Order: sequence, then C-alpha cells, then structure tokens
Amino acid sequence: MPEPHTPIDDVITVQRGPEPGGLGGAYRAFGATLRGLRTTLGRVAEKPPTYQYPEEKTPVYPRFRGRHKLQRFEDTGLEKCVGCSLCVAACPAECIRVVAAENTPDNQVSAGERYAAVYEINMTRCIFCGYCEVACPFDAITMGNDYEMADYHRSDLIFTKEMLLADAIEKTPLRREGE
Amino acid sequence: MARPQIKEISFEIDGREVRAPEGTMLVDAAKSGDVEIPYFCYEPKLGQPVGACRMCLVEIEGMPKLQTSCSTPVKDGMVINTTSDRVKSAQNAIVEFLLINHPLDCPVCDKGGECPLQDISYGWGGGKSRFIEPKRHFRKPLELSPLVAIDRERCILCYRCVRFSQEVAEDYQLVFLERGDHTYVGTHDGRPYVGPFSGNILDLCPVGALTSTAYRFRARPWDVEEAGSLCTLCPSQCNVQLTIRDDSKVLRAFARDNPEVDDGWLCDKGRFGYQAIHSEERLRAPMVRDGSMLREAPWDHALEQAAAALTRAGAGTAALAGGATTNEEAFLLGHLMREALGSPHLDARAGGALDPQQARVLARPDLSARVSDIDHADVILVVDTELVEEAPILDLRVRKAARRNNAKVVTLTGRPSSLDPNATAAVRFAPGAAEAALSALAAELGSGRATGSRLHSRAGCEPGAIGAAAEVLRAAGDVVVLWGERISDGARGASAVDALLAVAGALGIVDRPESGLIEVPAATNARGMREAGVAPGLAPGLTDAPEAGMPAAEIAGALGAGELSALILLHEDPLATHPERRRWQTALDTAATVIAFTDFVTTALRDYATVIFPAESYAEKEGTLTHPDGRLQRVRQAIGHQGQVRPEWSVLAELAGRCGARPDVRSAPQVTQKLFATVGFLDGLTLDEIGGKGVRWQDRDAASNLPRAELPEGTLEVPPELPEGMRLGTVPSLWAGTTVEHAPSLRFLAPVQRAELAPADAHRLGVGSGDEVEVAAGGQRLRATVALRQAMQPGSVFLVSGTADNNATALTNGVPRTVEITKTAGAVNGAGPPAAAPAAPGPGAQPPPV
Repeated sequence: MPEPHTPIDDVITVQRGPEPGGLGGAYRAFGATLRGLRTTLGRVAEKPPTYQYPEEKTPVYPRFRGRHKLQRFEDTGLEKCVGCSLCVAACPAECIRVVAAENTPDNQVSAGERYAAVYEINMTRCIFCGYCEVACPFDAITMGNDYEMADYHRSDLIFTKEMLLADAIEKTPLRREGE
Repeated sequence: MARPQIKEISFEIDGREVRAPEGTMLVDAAKSGDVEIPYFCYEPKLGQPVGACRMCLVEIEGMPKLQTSCSTPVKDGMVINTTSDRVKSAQNAIVEFLLINHPLDCPVCDKGGECPLQDISYGWGGGKSRFIEPKRHFRKPLELSPLVAIDRERCILCYRCVRFSQEVAEDYQLVFLERGDHTYVGTHDGRPYVGPFSGNILDLCPVGALTSTAYRFRARPWDVEEAGSLCTLCPSQCNVQLTIRDDSKVLRAFARDNPEVDDGWLCDKGRFGYQAIHSEERLRAPMVRDGSMLREAPWDHALEQAAAALTRAGAGTAALAGGATTNEEAFLLGHLMREALGSPHLDARAGGALDPQQARVLARPDLSARVSDIDHADVILVVDTELVEEAPILDLRVRKAARRNNAKVVTLTGRPSSLDPNATAAVRFAPGAAEAALSALAAELGSGRATGSRLHSRAGCEPGAIGAAAEVLRAAGDVVVLWGERISDGARGASAVDALLAVAGALGIVDRPESGLIEVPAATNARGMREAGVAPGLAPGLTDAPEAGMPAAEIAGALGAGELSALILLHEDPLATHPERRRWQTALDTAATVIAFTDFVTTALRDYATVIFPAESYAEKEGTLTHPDGRLQRVRQAIGHQGQVRPEWSVLAELAGRCGARPDVRSAPQVTQKLFATVGFLDGLTLDEIGGKGVRWQDRDAASNLPRAELPEGTLEVPPELPEGMRLGTVPSLWAGTTVEHAPSLRFLAPVQRAELAPADAHRLGVGSGDEVEVAAGGQRLRATVALRQAMQPGSVFLVSGTADNNATALTNGVPRTVEITKTAGAVNGAGPPAAAPAAPGPGAQPPPV
C-alpha cells in the first residue's frame, strides 16, 4: 500500500536575489538605466540611419540572392538553358515549370538538342534559396541582385522566359568592397 | 505440355544463405537475397541471355574467372560473391569502358532521370575516366522510323532492340551494322523500322539511344505522374501505364507488365493512340441537330432532346454498342433499353448475334482457356482470325509459344495468316466457308457429329490439307483454339459455331484444364458487353432475356422498314464497321432519331445523328472491362475530363431517369457493384479484388452460378456449296479507325484499300501488283490497289474493312459475297481517282513472308 500523497512535500523553495531596498536596491534600479542612457545619448549627434526608399536603395551584397536571370552565350546569343528540368527537381518550393522542346536547324534556340520552350518561375512561391542556380549544369540560371518584384496581381508574378532573359529595368546598387 | 514443376534450391550469396527456384539466372536469384546486381542487356522476356554488356560479372567459388550472372543458372550449393574487390574493379572498369564513347550530356538527353546507365554509373561506377581522346561521333538524331528517333552516339550496343526485332516481333528488321566501335543499330536495308510492335524498343533501350519522337524532350520523370490503366483500343486489353503531366495531359503510354494479359509488350496503336485524346477535332461538348446542322448545345438541352425523342420512340428504339464500352456502360444501356424504354433490341456484334445457348456453352470455364495457357499449349489452332490485326499481343504470345516452348501452330484461315511461317500446318479455305472447314476438321478428328460429303471442297480447301492439320491436332495434348468472331457472322453463324464446338468436343478440350477456346472478337469489350446483357437474347449474366430482341442486321432492316424509329449508337458507327452497309444507309436515313456517344464525329454521324454526346476517352474513364478470356480488369481515370465531357455512366443513368426509370446509382463504383450483384457468376466480386492485375471470373467460386449449358450433340448441319465467282473476304486493319486518324504519330499507318489476290487470279484478270482495280458487287463499287499474295486461295479476294475511303463494308451486302474485279485506267489519263498516297511500308501494307 503506497503512502498517501501530500502535495506540500513537493514544494521546493527557490533562493532569489537580495531583498529590494537599501543602497544595493537603489543601484540595481538606476545603474542599468544609466548604462542604457549612455548608449542612447552617445548617438544623439549621429544622423538618422533611415533610407529614403524608394528614392534611395539599400545596396546589397554581391552574393545576395534576388530575382533570377536566364543567361545567353555572349558570342552566339544562344540561350544557355537546355531545358533539362534539373532546377525543377531541385526547387523545394516547386515554383519552376519547364517544358522542353527540340531544336531544329531553322529554330536553334540553345546549344544542345533541346531547349526550354516554356520556362516559368512563380515568384509568389519562390523562397530565393538559390538551389536552382546550384543545380544548373550550364550556369544558365543565376540569382540576380534585384529584389523589387512587388506587383498588383499574382498572375503578374509568374515570370516567363522572356522576362527572365531580359535584364532588370533598374539596377540594384551593390555594396562596395568592405562596406 | 504441362507447366514445368519448379524445384527450390539454396545457395550462398555475399555470405548469406538464400533460396531460389532452380535454374533461374543468378541476377534474378540474387534478388531473393536482396542483392542487386547491375545489368543492361539482360531481359528474360527477350529469350536466352546473351551476356553482351558484361555489367553483371560476379565471382563464383570454384570458377577461376568472373562470370556473367545473367547467363549463369543458379545451382544448389553455389557460393557467390558480388562485393569482392575483384568484382568491384570489374564493375568500375565496365562502367568506365561504356562511358568512353557515351556522351556525358545527361541534361540534354531525353533519358536523363530514368536512365539505367546513369543509375548504374552512380551506383557501381568508379566516378572518373582516363579517356581524354575525342569520342566517336555520328549524325544525330536520325529517324529509325517515324515513331522512333535513334541517337547512335548514346548506344551501348546491348542488343536488346535487335533481339526484340529478331526473337519477339520476328520482323527481322533491326540488325547491328559495321564492326567494332563503328557498330550501330539500323535496319538491314536502310528503310524505316515499321512494324506493329516497333515502339517496344523504346521501353527496352537502357540508354537514351532510342527515344519516342512523340515524347522526346516533353518532360522529365519528376515533372510527371504515372497512372496505371488499361488500353481499350483492341480486345487484347493490354495493361498500360500512362504518363500524365499537370493532371490533364497524357504524354506517353507504356506497358505495365501483366504476364496473364500482355507479357509486358504493347503494340504501337496502344503506345501512341493516346494522342487522339488531345486531338483538336475531338468532340468535347454535346451536339444537337438544328435543321441540317449539328450545333453545340448545353448538356441540359441535349439530354432533354434525347430523352424526349427516346420517350416518343419507346419500344421502337434499338441500340448498338461497340468499341470500348465498359461493362458498366453496357449494363446501364441495358437498363435504359429494357427498363426505361421497354425495348429488347440491343446488340454489340456487327456480324450476327450468338445463339444464347451457344453463348453460355462458350462461357463455360472448362471450355475457355486463359491467355497464359497459350505459352504452354502443345498445339495452338488459329481459326479465321488475323491476330496481328485484331489482337496483336496474342500474335506475340503465339510466336513466343512456338519459338520458346516448341508449340505447334495450326492456322485455319481464309486469308493467308502472318503466323503461317511459324505454322506446322496451314489450311486455307474460301472466304466465308469457315463452317465447312470446321465441319471437315471435326470429321477428320473423328467427331461423329459431322455429316455431309466432300466437306473440304465445300470449304474450298486443298484436298488433304485438313487431314494434315487434323494429324497435328490428334497427336496433341493441350490445345488452345483462338477463333475469330467472324466465323459466327451471317445467317449460318450458329451452324459455324456449332461446328467449332464439334471440333472442341473432338479434341476433348472439356477434360483438359489447360486447353480451351479464346474468342478474338471485333469489339474491345465484346465479352463484357455480352455478359452485361447487351445481346438481343441475353439478360445480364447470360440468362435468357424475357423478350428476345433483334440482332444488328435485323435492326437495320426494321429501321429501314419503319418498324423501329430510334437508334442509340454507343461508340459505334455502323457504316464504318457493320456489314450490310446498304441496309444501314437506308436505316439511318429512315430513323427518326439517332443518338450517338462518340469521341469523333464521323461522316455518318454528321449526316444522320440527332443528338451526339461526347464520349470519354479511356484515360478519363472509370469502369471494368472483360478480357476475351474472362479476366475482369479495371480502367482507371488518369486525367480530368476534357472540355465539357461527362462520365458516360452518368449520362446513361440520367437518360434512363428522364425516360422514367432512374437507376439507383450515384457513382461509378456503385454501378459496378450493381452489375456484379446482378450477374450471377460475378457475385461477391469487388473492385479491390480485381485490383491492378484483374481477376478471371472462371477462377472464382461464383463461376458455378453460370447457367448450365451442355455441349451440343446431334449431327451438324450440312454446310452449303461454295458460290461461283471471285469470293470476297474482308479483314480489319489495326490501323483503321478514328484513333489512328487523329493520332498525329500514327496517321502515316492509316490503311489504303487494297485487293489481295492470288497470282493465278491476277494473271487471269490481267492485273499486276500495284495496279488500280475496281471491285464491284451488287451495284456498289470501290477502288483498290492490287497486292499479290502467294499463299492466297485462288478464287478469293480480300479487302480491308474499316478504311476511311473505299471501305470494304460497301460490298458486303447479303449472300453470296462475290465480286467482279476490273482493271481501271488509274491515274494515267487523269480521269481516275487521285492515286493513293504512297504509304509507308506499314505492317498492313506489307505482305508477310510467304
């Protein structure tokens, strides 16, 4: 027969800090406040750090992952993308859709046998992880620096191949070395 | 030949004791020990292994060198090592060797993501190459055929496609050309590789060398989903797997191996026919006649019009079902006709209905064979059917039995059969004289039922030919008889089936569990429709219908005479498929109402239909089909309904409801359940039991609910004498019909009319191969190109039925079916019809070796 349980036995008394009041109490009340105020007052002379967006843009780091770009070969002008769909496989947000087609002598779009007839990125879903860039065996898709993609309609945020092949309209400033 | 008994033995692999059936190859035996051995060329379906790729090398204790495990049968007590350093270095070396000349541009290759070479390179390859020299280069991609593109750089010379062509399809077209690293796959004469089964090499190729021109670069395996279903384009009912993109588009079809049905092969019609589903011309909304025009109409309006017309016609309605009508649709059509409209006139056979008693006898489990019985039969008797055109996968089965298991083939046909080269005895009879030929065979086999003298001359056979066939059959143990539906056509159909049953009786098929008959019907689901009650004298479950109706030919007469006024066509166009075309023309002209369910509006429907409902394609359908051997299989919905297409079971149920007898069904499985509950011998069956591979109802206990039917006794009727003149026979073409016409990849195979003649007849008529002739009978005439067939019986001419132009059914009116053949001036003087386009050497156009 187990012992009847008396709840009061379980209570553990915790030792807290010293009682309030006295000189120590006054120091604890004001000391930390004064230390904080020193930091605040030290910044009074500085200018406000607010960026006047959108007139003034935050510069981004060179490896910032923004809006995607599809690349072309500089010499031939052919698209680097062959429509292999590896970016689709890599994408954790499932926001890329590729439909490939076959190049013909009259319609040579990319360097290989196949090209991407449809290449769409749904920017409402994209999490800008950059896996597509890592997966791409031809360096055809890269992450740009542009982050201004807000729009009024979701359907406008499905970026087509033509949009991705074109340069961004306004360049986002890059941070200078060491900044 | 009984199926071989297989003994189990035990052997050791990678230090584990494993049991496997004796004689299996090591690669397969290793799987029972969860050991995977990589291979490229091994494929048991292709026959004996060749050991061409050397990927499957293993170490066997007691053998000094590494052995190819694909060609080494496992023996009791064998000790095998697949993980030793020797094996590993051999595997690395083979992968490195194969990749020497293989382009390493997987992202471009169509096979990427589903490529055995990719997988094996990752799994068993060394990961680096020492080869820095330039790789071999070929021009690419080339068209091996209009359906298959070949990239010879990617080929690893595994022999699979060549073996398929040589040993399975037996068309002997593909060969290896050149030697050494110049070797490549091609046809021996450089012409396109065209054959009814050419698409199978796409499944077999372990690299991206052979790709489908229809699927090439369309998608990656991770872009798509696979959906198991059934091909409903011919009675073989092969199991297929459809590749679906975005839940709405079928991109490809390939075989889903079911040894009891298709043995893992698929014909090109099944493989590329899916394209018709997405054809622009497919009907996607109901049409209602408005004056002389058919106009698209909302569903409600179309249903209202159809129901009003049917209610007006009432018992004066007739119905024809065909094509891929599922058991459920057939059942609901029966309900609509018998319960709602009170009409018994419904049929699913073009040529003539089976006598109800004969239908029950033919359904008897002890008289029917399963498809896999063909593999183990001693003799396969092919009666008046051209398997390669009517049920192509069965053609491969017969070839396999003859090649691998030494089965003897006996052909008893009107037209020279493509199986003749494999046949021990080949008997030709005059077109339409199947009854006399079967009676003669029964007499030769010692059946007491056969009567009449000079039976072989009534059949138009060479004297002694039937005796030789009987000789082969008498010595046989298990016999599988594949008989074509056409022997039961016409007024004497019942006597012909009686003669067939006399042959079956004389062969003692009833007492042999692995012997039996398999009907090769014209419609995909002929057996299922019959068993679900779409037959003039049969209610669901092959019981006698309370009121016997008219068969198709009589329906045509009654419609023409005004005794019937409405006609429902469920996936059927009588002008394209039914004989007695003249009568049908009058019938459709006279009928007050024609209500059709179809996916493509044919000329006949455009001219005569009152209301057309869009039919579902097999990728949209949910239901069951019954294989000619009694196997129930499921058709599963793979894509959403296109356009405004509605499930046909619901349309039929709605029509019945509006005509006053609403069936109590709310979903497709509910219809199935109701059907199984109504049909005695399907009692207790469930969709789960049917599963992915199907169930033969003869194998279930409920088969005993089949109404009893005894083999007929008493003497056979004496077959009539042969008519004088050139006797006309028809043969369907696999490539005829709307599916092929609307599938862009297959269109080049659509048949043009040809008149097959014996050389003697051609000489007498003064025509040669390729000449244009006019074939006439009873005032009807059509144009055809002469094709000479050495093995053709003199006095016969064969035409293709179902072609888009010059359909042979124009001449098949009444009996006797004899024709006049005259040579036309052709296109020489410009007065003739435009010369037929030079067809690619399609299987239909190409006479088999004789």
